[in-house]
Amino acid sequence: MKRILSSVTDGKGFDIGLVVLPLGFLFVMSGLPLVYNVVMSFQEVDMFSLGSFARPFVGFRNYVDLFSQHETRPILFNTALFVVASIAGQFAIGFGLALFFWTNFPGASWLRGLFLVSWVMPGLVVGAIWNWILSGDFGVLNFLLRETGVIDGNIFWRSDPNYSLWAVIIANIWLGTSFNMILLSVGLSGIPKDLYEAAELDGANALQRFWTITLPMMRSTIGAIIALGLIFTLQQFDLFAAITSGGPNNTSNVTQYWAWDLSFRQYDFAKGATISVIMIVFVMFASVVYVRSTRHEVRG
Amino acid sequence: MTLQIELNGVNKFYGAFHALKDINLAIEEGTFVALVGPSGCGKSTLLRSLAGLEKISTGEMKIAGALMNGVPPRKRDVAMVFQSYALYPHMTVEENLTYSLRIRGVKKAEARKAAEEVAATTGLSHLMKRYPRELSGGQRQRVAMSRAIIRHPKAFLFDEPLSNLDAALRVHMRKEIRALHDRLKATSVYVTHDQIEAMTMADYVVVMRDGIIEQQGRPLDLYDRPANKFVAGFIGSPAMNFIPAIVGEDGAHIVLDFGKTQAKLAIGSRLSPGMSLTAGIRPEHIKIVAEGRGAFDVSVGIVESTGSATFITSATQPELTIVETGRGGARSGEIIGLAIDLAQLHLFDTTTGRRIEPENGRVGIEPPRHLHVAGHAS
Repeated sequence: MKRILSSVTDGKGFDIGLVVLPLGFLFVMSGLPLVYNVVMSFQEVDMFSLGSFARPFVGFRNYVDLFSQHETRPILFNTALFVVASIAGQFAIGFGLALFFWTNFPGASWLRGLFLVSWVMPGLVVGAIWNWILSGDFGVLNFLLRETGVIDGNIFWRSDPNYSLWAVIIANIWLGTSFNMILLSVGLSGIPKDLYEAAELDGANALQRFWTITLPMMRSTIGAIIALGLIFTLQQFDLFAAITSGGPNNTSNVTQYWAWDLSFRQYDFAKGATISVIMIVFVMFASVVYVRSTRHEVRG
Repeated sequence: MTLQIELNGVNKFYGAFHALKDINLAIEEGTFVALVGPSGCGKSTLLRSLAGLEKISTGEMKIAGALMNGVPPRKRDVAMVFQSYALYPHMTVEENLTYSLRIRGVKKAEARKAAEEVAATTGLSHLMKRYPRELSGGQRQRVAMSRAIIRHPKAFLFDEPLSNLDAALRVHMRKEIRALHDRLKATSVYVTHDQIEAMTMADYVVVMRDGIIEQQGRPLDLYDRPANKFVAGFIGSPAMNFIPAIVGEDGAHIVLDFGKTQAKLAIGSRLSPGMSLTAGIRPEHIKIVAEGRGAFDVSVGIVESTGSATFITSATQPELTIVETGRGGARSGEIIGLAIDLAQLHLFDTTTGRRIEPENGRVGIEPPRHLHVAGHAS
């Protein structure tokens, strides 16, 4: 006992302790549920077998069943559209804002701080606010579009099948832009100023400097942000719950909301788990990209 | 020779801070000019203004005869070597070298050929595919230089390019840069805080302090006839000795004030009696002689030998530093006589710091080569 104790105070045991503690935590709180979820996707699960672990093994039947359902393909397509459009919007606007604040006009840092408000707000609150903005008959967005002549009649954003998914995408872009902006701002401020001076003396104009210095120097930051964006948009649940609830007729439904709906509203736990497993594959891919891009730092 | 760089009445303000004060400078084509001064003297600001990275507040700046005041850096056709080198970390050496050419729309093959030619002269040929992070400090320095050379600019601007290298490499690169200049004959402006770099490399030295040019001229002229006490103390190593002094009643000698003791020194010319001034004499212009045989005697404080030279510090207030080549015989505590070469004695006004030229100069009255009145200071 004394030997173990002294090895802790010596440092070597302490090092191991530092590693074991978080690893244990990760295993119990993330690893086990993950494995349990994967196992469940290969089993037949209903309300009565939920409490036991030994349930009938059904092989890939859950997967086959899932893909034979007629709503699966549209929902997977919605998810892809939601992820791509959200990340594109968040990144484009976030990068634009980061470049804007990078010019460092008076009050820039103060104003940049204010932008973080959107990121601090809970998704349900953001959803409630956007419900008002997007509202078909008295919404501000419709008013603006009508007054500027873009549309003639009101768009019922949340209940029109053509717009329902876009209603959530707009809200999600608003929610994620400031996070993109902050990370990109950090990346921008990490580029040494003298590189720009050297490029300027070498004859590069502003656009050329952006293409040849800023973008390549931001490669790892951009990779990390896209990967994080993929993870965050695949996690986005609150906005769907608050704005469209996946409706109407699944036109704004996405896998993460559907998984919850199947598991906890329709009590089809096996299908819910199956969808989660499919999502895990994508998130794993994003995680690998994220880890690789943060590890690969370019510094002279 | 045509003027390549001309500055007329250039001023630069940062808010209320006056960084450059009425700078006038004319640099002939092909000259290697060193801007030297302590940190914060404005030398880097002046260089960056030449590059166009800083905007001058008032005055006129011309490069190759064309007014540059509102011209952006990329249209000035000057190349700069940065203190940090500012190599593009995401590009290979070859891409770093060809960047300016590619921006200008030069074809890839042509740019590569130009890069190979430059790399051959700077010894980088075998490193073309490496990234800056894979290079040593000296190699990075060479890449930074090559990147400037490949452009054949109107002027080279160097911003303390050697300050990140170790001492031995610095001495080596000093010679290499100078050799390069002799080959390319391009106008160069070189900023440094190291007066030895300025003295050894430059054709023309500009000494700056607090935003003004204290003196400009050829290196040895600055050494031989510093215009003021600041330049006198800045140029030369070890630094010049300064001793407060008062002109004696006959106007032909000065009394050096060593606090407790004093020493009389004939100056071989006339100054107004009673005037207070500062006498300056370089350590290498003082000779150690036997006690009582020099201008005055001092007792030896510290003796430091580097092998090739011996530095002797006197136990006086202010201290005098004397450099003897070889291994001088003086020992700590010993009383020695000091012979001062009067032709090398500098006199400065105590209040303004300006150099005092005795009324009729040093000619006329025959300057005695060696010293006369022996005082005793210890």
